[in-house]
Amino acid sequence: MSEPTDTVTPLGAGRFLVSRDGRQRLAYGTQAAGATWVFLDGEVIVIGAAPSAARAAAVDEHASLAAPMPATVIAIAVQPGQKVAAGDVLIRLEAMKMELPVRSPRDATVVAVKCREGELVQPGVPLLELDEA
Amino acid sequence: MFTRILVANRGEIAVRILRTCRVMGIETVAVYSDADARSLHVTLADQAVRIGGAAPADSYLLQAAIIDAARATGAQAVHPGYGFLSENDAFAAACAGAGLTFIGPSPDAMAKLGSKTAARRLAEAAGVPVVPGAVPDDQSEAALIAAATRVGFPVLLKPSEGGGGIGMKAVHAATELPAAIAQARREAEAAFGDGTLYVERLVTKPRHVEFQVLGDVHGTVVHLFERECSIQRRHQKVLEETPSTAVTPALRARMGAAAVALAKAAGYSNAGTVEFLVEGAGDGASFYFLEMNARLQVEHPITEAATGVDLVRAQIEVAAGQPVPWTQEQLSQRGHAIEVRVCAEDPRQGFLPQAGVLALYHEPSMPGVRVDSGVCEGGEVSVHYDSLLAKLVAWGDTREAARLRARDALAQYPILGLRTNVPLLMRLLVHPRFVAGDLDTHFLDTEAATLVPADNTPSDAARAVAAAVRARPSTTTGASDSWPDPWASLGGRRV
Repeated sequence: MSEPTDTVTPLGAGRFLVSRDGRQRLAYGTQAAGATWVFLDGEVIVIGAAPSAARAAAVDEHASLAAPMPATVIAIAVQPGQKVAAGDVLIRLEAMKMELPVRSPRDATVVAVKCREGELVQPGVPLLELDEA
Repeated sequence: MFTRILVANRGEIAVRILRTCRVMGIETVAVYSDADARSLHVTLADQAVRIGGAAPADSYLLQAAIIDAARATGAQAVHPGYGFLSENDAFAAACAGAGLTFIGPSPDAMAKLGSKTAARRLAEAAGVPVVPGAVPDDQSEAALIAAATRVGFPVLLKPSEGGGGIGMKAVHAATELPAAIAQARREAEAAFGDGTLYVERLVTKPRHVEFQVLGDVHGTVVHLFERECSIQRRHQKVLEETPSTAVTPALRARMGAAAVALAKAAGYSNAGTVEFLVEGAGDGASFYFLEMNARLQVEHPITEAATGVDLVRAQIEVAAGQPVPWTQEQLSQRGHAIEVRVCAEDPRQGFLPQAGVLALYHEPSMPGVRVDSGVCEGGEVSVHYDSLLAKLVAWGDTREAARLRARDALAQYPILGLRTNVPLLMRLLVHPRFVAGDLDTHFLDTEAATLVPADNTPSDAARAVAAAVRARPSTTTGASDSWPDPWASLGGRRV
């Protein structure tokens, strides 16, 4: 006996009819932001995007000294030459009315600050430099 | 009555105010920033005026630009919504100076309630309970220990200046005090340049319960019962409901009377909210005044759902000099209402706000459900404003009926193209402690592990749908920097 399979019929405007063993469900789907998004049975499924745990790790490693999204620098808590400990708040950003702290990933010394208070910064651009680990 | 009102806000609250104006037969003027030129609120108004650039400081916070827009369009009144200029007494005064009615309390009442310490003194004078506490003139360790003993353990040590939780220390016994005083003082001096400490009773398992009030310029004030807002994260409310599972009829009567007494003492007119901490439950529960919000609240629709009134209509009527439209006795609560705030944020990345295009967006519609939103499919969620997309309000004749409606409505609310907190809201609505009504303001932190969703492993059906989506690229609306062209998405069809 073969496994029952899902038959998907496009209905237009991002709607899809999913049929399996006589049961019919409405799904929604679209492509956006480099991934395929599906809404089915009350759950959002994103296929083709980096899993969020991997994304969070990526943010921690190479981009932790950059804004995770376009943001405004509201405070710079350190100066060049200052020693900082892992987890110390280096810079406070604000985006969409939420404060986003930029924390030091390790014990280090601040080499240079590359942003100004009040500046709108873009994701991926380093906000400051730490000395080599 | 006014014939034309300017709405000095954006997003869902501007839309909500415009809708009431329309049914009252009042013409409307919207204002917008460059980022909002094609937003929903602009399309719902009779006229729209551009007031500046995308950043709030260049547009929605520009008092002169808003007042100029009101004068140029012949509006007689300004509704500030919430946030932005809504609690700015200088703006309220500037409106009056320009011959415009500010739909809100008087600048004087706003100023009285704007300072936390002044509001606390006002509450004490009106006989409204406040959290027991003291700022000893003598700041020596011995005097602080004596003050803490008078207030009663556990206590909270707070810097008398500042806020935001910096320098706050919970202390459970006198023996822990000397070390805690030294540390709190160090942090207060570093953060605020002032090491003066305040000793306050620590309220354990506090609930946030607020009362809606409405006053008129003739001195009448009524309350429209409570809203329980204990489900919050970093002081941002996530879910609100009314009635509160902690409030009995006797407690409700005491708290309502306190809210009205405070509003009267401040000479308050228009809509406002008195926030309390509640400790314990039942008739003997304690409540303490926190602050008064001199504006319409985000969560006002649950009060509308449970009382059957239109609070924005009432705001406009009392601003026009009319009396409060109901007596206290005419107001009653019917059934139960729950609001969830649908936000563009990713709970799995520390609630990081998400900006982008709403590639697919479809609001649910079913008995007992109201969705207040300021967005539509194809619209862009900008980095310049807060992440609130919509408020979903479910009403039912019981709390359980409202809860099940809220959950079912979320399950029929596809939002694709950016991450939202909907998966978290759905888990919250079925959490055993939430189902039991066992809430406190630490709920979201305490229960985070069971509420933050994991990545879904796509089911076979989801994969099949994804394959069908990829086979039909005409449904794509992916570019984040361009407005999707509705004609392009029609594909090869002739129109």
